Amino acid sequence: MKKLLLASSMLALSATGLSGAAQAEVKLGIILGFTGPIESVTPGMADSAELAMKEVSDSGKLLGGETVSSVRADSTCVDSAAATAGAERLVTSDGVAAIVGADCSGVTGAIANNVTIPKGVVMVSPSATSPALSALDDNGYFFRTAPSDARQGQVLADIMKDRGFTSAAVTYTNNDYGKGLADAFQSSFEAAGGKVTTSVAHEDGKADYSAEVGTLAASGGDLLAVFGYVDQGGRGIIQSSLDTGAFDTFLVGDGMSSEALVETFGSSIDGSFGTLPGNESEGAAKFLEFAKANGVDGDGAFRPESYDAAALILLAMQAAGSTDSAAVKDKIMEVANAPGEPILPGELAKGLEILANGGDIDYVGATAVELIGPGEAAGSYRELLVEGGAFTTVQIR
Amino acid sequence: MSIGNLSPLGMRTLGAYIGMALLLILIGFLQSWSVALVLVNLCLISAIMALGVNIQWGYAGLFSAGTVGFAALGGLAGVLISEAPIPEAWSAGGFNVLMSAAVLAVLIAAIFVIFAVMAPGRARKIVLTLTVLVGYFVVRQFFDAGTDAIEAVDPALTGFLGGLNLPIILSWPVGGLLAALVAWGIGKIALGLRADYLAIATLGIGEIVIAVIKNEEWLARGVKNVSGLDRPVPKEIALQEADWFLGWVEWIHSSALQGVSGDARLDMLRGFAQYDAGIAVKLCYAVLFTAVLVCLFVLAQKALNSPWGRMMRAIRDNEVAAEAMGKDVTKRHLQTFILGSAVIGIAGAMLTTLDGQFTPGTYNPLRYTFLIWVMVIVGGSGNNHGSVIGGFLIWFAWVQAEPAGAFVLDLLTAGLAEDNPVREHLLDAAAHMRPLLMGLVLLLAMRFSPKGILPEPVRADR
Amino acid sequence: MYETFELLNALALMSNFVFVPALSYGSQLALGALGITLVFGILRFANFAHGDLMAFGTMVVVLVTYWLQAQGIGIDPLPTALLALPIGIVVAVAASLAIDRTVFRFYRRRRAAPVIFVVASVGVMYVLNGVTRFIIGPDDQRFADGERFLINARDFKEMTGLAEGVTIKLSQGVTVVVAIAVVAALFWFLQRTRTGKAMRAYSDNEDLALLSGINPDRVVAVTWIIAAVLATIAGTLYGLDKSFKPFTYFQLILPMFAAAIVGGIGQPVGAIVGGYIVAFSEVMVTYAYKKALAYLGPGGWEPEGLMQILSTEYKFAVSFIILVIVLLVRPTGIFRGKVIT
Repeated sequence: MKKLLLASSMLALSATGLSGAAQAEVKLGIILGFTGPIESVTPGMADSAELAMKEVSDSGKLLGGETVSSVRADSTCVDSAAATAGAERLVTSDGVAAIVGADCSGVTGAIANNVTIPKGVVMVSPSATSPALSALDDNGYFFRTAPSDARQGQVLADIMKDRGFTSAAVTYTNNDYGKGLADAFQSSFEAAGGKVTTSVAHEDGKADYSAEVGTLAASGGDLLAVFGYVDQGGRGIIQSSLDTGAFDTFLVGDGMSSEALVETFGSSIDGSFGTLPGNESEGAAKFLEFAKANGVDGDGAFRPESYDAAALILLAMQAAGSTDSAAVKDKIMEVANAPGEPILPGELAKGLEILANGGDIDYVGATAVELIGPGEAAGSYRELLVEGGAFTTVQIR
Repeated sequence: MSIGNLSPLGMRTLGAYIGMALLLILIGFLQSWSVALVLVNLCLISAIMALGVNIQWGYAGLFSAGTVGFAALGGLAGVLISEAPIPEAWSAGGFNVLMSAAVLAVLIAAIFVIFAVMAPGRARKIVLTLTVLVGYFVVRQFFDAGTDAIEAVDPALTGFLGGLNLPIILSWPVGGLLAALVAWGIGKIALGLRADYLAIATLGIGEIVIAVIKNEEWLARGVKNVSGLDRPVPKEIALQEADWFLGWVEWIHSSALQGVSGDARLDMLRGFAQYDAGIAVKLCYAVLFTAVLVCLFVLAQKALNSPWGRMMRAIRDNEVAAEAMGKDVTKRHLQTFILGSAVIGIAGAMLTTLDGQFTPGTYNPLRYTFLIWVMVIVGGSGNNHGSVIGGFLIWFAWVQAEPAGAFVLDLLTAGLAEDNPVREHLLDAAAHMRPLLMGLVLLLAMRFSPKGILPEPVRADR
Repeated sequence: MYETFELLNALALMSNFVFVPALSYGSQLALGALGITLVFGILRFANFAHGDLMAFGTMVVVLVTYWLQAQGIGIDPLPTALLALPIGIVVAVAASLAIDRTVFRFYRRRRAAPVIFVVASVGVMYVLNGVTRFIIGPDDQRFADGERFLINARDFKEMTGLAEGVTIKLSQGVTVVVAIAVVAALFWFLQRTRTGKAMRAYSDNEDLALLSGINPDRVVAVTWIIAAVLATIAGTLYGLDKSFKPFTYFQLILPMFAAAIVGGIGQPVGAIVGGYIVAFSEVMVTYAYKKALAYLGPGGWEPEGLMQILSTEYKFAVSFIILVIVLLVRPTGIFRGKVIT
């Protein structure tokens, strides 16, 4: 009886549901947290992804002259239910061929499990860095251009060791990013013989961090490792540490390594250091230049990754000769990695051309994309040092 | 019963349901049936939560500001019931955690013994304080050692004790029980005092429950989330590969597939199968959720119309008189508070089941306490149909507000230049319209339509 | 000599991380709790919107401060915000009177149950919250200027030769001084002026007060004015000391309610004492005593663990625990507040 009911209602529903199957243009979905905790970051990310789409459209070379348009949806960063509804709309109502997104690891998991994997739609996240997503049972449909935090934790521990620090107090923003990075750092650092004196969470959006800093100070350590956001609790923690004289040297993760940090604290945090994904390669500089020429500000968190995510999808479509995700997913690793002609930002037309002629490319992009294992970026990081109140790049790791 | 026999309120109720159904069908045509079904499923869960709040507020006039905590407890049950146990974690820290639980039990027993044996006075106070302090540190000793060991077990993927590996559908009643248990504790303390105290106490407990779930990683991975939970319905991928399902798809779409053959036919079939699998899974959820809603609704309705419900209304409308009649007001309040919380807990577990993951960071009071309140008050407090309609309507508005709000603001500021600071500010601030609008809706509904869309029926007993 | 040094070090450490922060936090809570307790005592409901009224008033102060800073007007070394405070107060007073007029008066005339007022105040809370975020956005605003420190940790160490420094921020000094002044003024008002006496009479027994010819509308209006003044001052001091972020003010209601109830509802003195009790407990219960004990213990010895009663993640739970203990042990609060039934 249940089966019959199911079948008959499906008949009724799917009769109208597939009306949008044949699309004249290629649509890409962008699902990012336009409202919610990271709402200040996402507009720049979306602009960067749309930059790649515009570049490809203008070239007129995608699949014999297809244009690309974007459809945005709000992931809210935290509300899985709303994010799932948004993604469902993108896939079934707007008929997008693939998705750039999502941003926060929690909603990314929800969308992947409930919408994109079951529907067989390729999704490339520019910013979900949780190590847990590596274990997603994704049928090959999920990729990310941001490296997993497991990698960053390792890099941070290496830097500590090379600089001769043997102990650290750790504080992290109380979410999956902060906790994941803190765990990764702690296990790498301890494996290398270092000592984490304590690991204390801090909640974002509180005004007062004196209790957290008090605990960190009581535990001691060569320096304080802060894995948070510079426009959130991370800044309060550093401010409070400096005020009370608890710490004056800091190790910061990618959420903190921004110009805003040195603008706020200047030379009072000289000698602090941190990591930021990316490299000083041609690609990074070229992306900034190319973005600027097109009226987009490319300097910001996860913007290069967003550009790369959209570019990768479109190049893979060209390689597959189709916008069908089932074919596209098999080509993503191929266009991202060697061998082949290296492709930088602003050179997507060249890449499309080579692929159209049956050639092979190695998409380098803005972040030197290199996908490994379950379709995630291998990740190179810049080691940054604060000197005289400004960041300098020491080396690439 | 024919429609002609319906009372005006009955007509109104029927009208409200039909209107809501039409709205959802409209979404099906305008956006897609898949989106409409996602909405329906969440509307069903919202309706159950609203039903729970209505039991507390509409039946008894209890103001609980902790709905979010009870919903989170329900979600926690989803993890504890369905996840597979992690043997490494149990062997690493299970003993210490169990020991701490045992010491805690001894401590509680000791407190009862002290109360029973010693006479009230300063000596008892001192002994009691000392016992609690010493006990606390002993418990912490075991507990910290145990949890540290558990959290160190492969923290990126597990780092918690896991669950019981039972079907997740069991977590629905268990989530209700868990919420009821906590509600009992809170009610014991705060009910019987001034009405406002319950609001303040529940506000606190809501925050604390979430803080515990976020920070006790050994329990359910905390902020690291648990994803890939068990499902009570088949997986889409499995359906797409099942022969019987493909057979159906072929049969349903036989007209579309006619005359197509070879690879093109396979591709087309695959496309249909992916879409239909999504629909089928959502329909299964919808059937399950509807069943739960109907069951709870019938029970709630029965309770409302029983002598018990009559008594509750009497207490709500005139506490003093009811007390004078010999009704134990505090006890009845406790009962309704627990019942309502349990219903919210069930809905919380259902939501986690639907999401397929447990993300403690999601729980915020605006979404899970306040929004549910608006549902009840707009729908009509004291009327169960009203809560259901309120749940559907407000959730619908909440989700569709995003495109609609942006659209309206865009329209309003269309006369201004693209880079006009006022326009930019307004568009950026659009997201903050949600709390503002919901607050206004609540205030306006309370003031001008205190009875809601579907008012509480005027009963003979009033 | 060595022991004295160790003892002084421990004292300095505790002052730096416990006494000084708790004292300023306590003052901020006390001012907020005073507003809550007055509304609770006179209007007889728990005003959930008080935190967001604080945020609203502070927002005005922040905006005016920015404007003054842009004009180059300041009162260095004191923070410019003190200059902007009166304007913030005026706007907040106007807002709270308008809210009473549009929302609460309706229910007061109908003599609605207290719980209706509470629900309405939750609605007001969200509207105010939305307005604040709509105008100034959800981000952190830093508006403190002028001198940063009264005593800075490094100078203190050099001055005393101790290993531990003590920092006293200017904002902490300002907080305590302003709080004392405001509380003194409020008590003078309640004890000595006609209106103040009328308010106390109304709080004690509404019917009797009405019979003796007290104008209830006036009492209510004055209560809202005082609540708004206190809220704006408390919010501004909190924002100066920490930073202004709309959402944090919502989270201050729980400790403020706890303070008001611990002290005894409707008791101004109780609210102040309650504020400090909550603040000191929060800080002391979550402080890690490891280093302090190491100074106090025999030389070279250090405790194994952090010596922390409760981890900092549960800091805000402390106010709730205090609340529950008071409800269980002495529901009327320390200073025997309103009859609570």
